Formats: sequence, C-alpha cells, structure tokens
Amino acid sequence: MLPLSLLNAAQNKPMLVELKNGETFNGHLVNCDNFMNITLREVYQTNADGDKFWKLKECYIRGSTIKYLRVPDTLLDAVKEEQNRAREAGRSARGAHVSGAGNRGGRGMLQRGRGAMRGGPIRGGRGRGRGM
Amino acid sequence: MATLQGYVDHRVLLILQDGRAIVGVMAGYDQKSNVVLSDSKERVYSVEEGVEEIPLGLYLVKGDQIVLIGELDEALDQSVDLSTIRAEPIPPIHY
Repeated sequence: MLPLSLLNAAQNKPMLVELKNGETFNGHLVNCDNFMNITLREVYQTNADGDKFWKLKECYIRGSTIKYLRVPDTLLDAVKEEQNRAREAGRSARGAHVSGAGNRGGRGMLQRGRGAMRGGPIRGGRGRGRGM
Repeated sequence: MATLQGYVDHRVLLILQDGRAIVGVMAGYDQKSNVVLSDSKERVYSVEEGVEEIPLGLYLVKGDQIVLIGELDEALDQSVDLSTIRAEPIPPIHY
C-alpha cells in the first residue's frame, strides 16, 4: 500500500503532523497532494517544547517540512478494503471486455504486433515452404 | 536494485534522524522511501530506567527523515525484557 493512498484516504479525518523542527499540528485533513503538501482545518499547533499552543482555523503545510503523520488506525483497513474492491472491479471489467471482443488481439493472431510481418503478403511461417 | 519490498508485512525497526527508534509492521512504502507503519511503538531508551514503549498506532514517516530500516526477529525481540535494558538514547543529527 502506498503512503500517498493512505494520505488521500485520510481526507476529513483527524491527524497529527510533526514537522522537522518538532512543531506539531493537530487537525482534520482538508486536502493533500503528491508532494505531501497538506491543508488542515481546526488546528491546534504546539511548539517543539510542547509548552505553547495556538489555535488556527486553517493552515497549509509544505510537504518537505514534514517529519511524520499520525493517522487513525481504522484507515489501514479502509484503504486495504478499497484496494480489494478496485482490484475486483478491474478484474471483472477486463474479463467482460475479453469475452465480448471474441478473439481479437489475442496471442498468436495474424495481425500487427509481436512478430507479425509488416505489410507483407500473409503466408505460412518458417518451414512451411516445402512439399509444394 | 535496492528495495523495501521484502520488509512489507514484517515487523521492522526504524531509526529517524531525530534519534527516535520506532518499531512497527511495514504496511507500505514508495519510491521516496516514505513508509507506512501499522501497530507502531516508539522505544525510548534511557540509562536511568528500562526502555519505555509508547504506542503510536498508524504512522506515515517521510523517507527523508529515515536513517535506517531493519527487520526485527520477532521471536528474539519478544524474548528480551525491555524493562531490563539500559542504554543511552541515540542523539539527533544536527545540521
């Protein structure tokens, strides 16, 4: 499971973010991107020593400054389940496509692709020229 | 090709640049060595008292903070009574 799929699944969930400088941010995830840049809402910010607190309505955190994120345990099962569903859906969709399309594009058919003869006349393969 | 694939679903020890030691089950990773740890615990070492284990739960650690990842021998690890272990904590890296 990819870390970023876990993060994407954490939208609207509470999380704790610690920055490299030791500051922590507690809030609900609003949005995130592939750089791990994130926006949080209803945030409690704590300084590195843990003795000062700030309340923020919303904040944006650059991904490169993050040390780690702590997310709810339940997310792991949610993401795994979602991935299983996606895999099943993909499998059944592909299966339907193949049976619907008959043999087109199947292995060993005479058409462009691996080993097919470019534009030339279609005749037997190697070793079929004798016995005429 | 160096890869973390062999560690997936195994209990691992992570050492971070701030000196923290975290054990957990590696649930996933990516190209940048960002790591997802489930059922993770921080191990706090000290010379005055035994090792303290702090439960952390589900953790996403950024790859650029990770110093090392090692597979834990679970049987061996469980045979150790952490409360008897005294050790200096690993100091953080300063830049």
